[in-house]
Amino acid sequence: MENKSADKSKKTLIAGLAALVVLISVLAVIFIKFREKPVEGSKSITIEVVDKEGESKAYELKTDAEYLRQAMEEAEGLTFSGAESDYGMMVDTVNDLTADYPTDGAYWSFYVNGEYCNYGIDTQPVADGDAFSIVYTID
Amino acid sequence: MVGVMVAVIEVSKAALGFLPNIELTSFWIILFTLFFGWRILLVVPAFILIEGAVYGFGLWWVMYLYAWPLLVLTVWLFRAQESVWFWSILSAVFGLLFGFLCAVPYVVMGAIDGGLTGGLTAGFAWWVAGIPWDIAHGVGNFVLMLVLYRPVRMAMKRAAGCANGKKQEDC
Repeated sequence: MENKSADKSKKTLIAGLAALVVLISVLAVIFIKFREKPVEGSKSITIEVVDKEGESKAYELKTDAEYLRQAMEEAEGLTFSGAESDYGMMVDTVNDLTADYPTDGAYWSFYVNGEYCNYGIDTQPVADGDAFSIVYTID
Repeated sequence: MVGVMVAVIEVSKAALGFLPNIELTSFWIILFTLFFGWRILLVVPAFILIEGAVYGFGLWWVMYLYAWPLLVLTVWLFRAQESVWFWSILSAVFGLLFGFLCAVPYVVMGAIDGGLTGGLTAGFAWWVAGIPWDIAHGVGNFVLMLVLYRPVRMAMKRAAGCANGKKQEDC
């Protein structure tokens, strides 16, 4: 009787672990198949920074950057910093202007070709002709 | 007791903050739900409010409003389980599906701008981009529960006894 019960527990455990492996595999396949793939090669892009007063400054550059963070690092004169998080850098300061959400309800919004970016700067792909905007925003 | 539980969650979260998506929040919420019953109904809202106050009440905060209560509800439904493997697997599944759960606000936001299709596309893109982090989250949850469940469970049983009115000398 005890042996039967132990066997059943063992089978349940193996089924549970197998289900976990299957779930991880399914997630990996979905990621590989559907992730947004960056375009490689030389790309011309613009990065526009709109500050607290609404004044904008545009940076035009040619880049091989796959993701926005690298392109921002390459943009001459553009400076930025922030806290590293699970999803990459959370930008809080651009060109020495800090958006302090807890104090002012302010943050930096990122747009690509007029659409709100779905990704952080570490995972936002860069394509030829992209126009990025980094806008000081208050809730 | 509630304050101590919230403090334990917050301190553990801060301590492991340097490891991407490796967290003890799920572990503590599962254990607290199992051993301290109704008190978790005060712990989780307090934790959610503190997180919002510290990091700002952004879109991510909306996810916390249902993701952690959903974990509590799931644990409560399976509260009779005592197997370390069961809780390790459940914790892993929660970590693996965390991004999926959290994509809901992006679906809603996208739907407001671009209709249901636009919402689903935005939510799907957001979820897919975070899948590697979800896998790290799931594996981390699994390992942490597997390693910590038994020793912490022993301590919890004792603490729960005290919290539930056991004689002081037995605590």
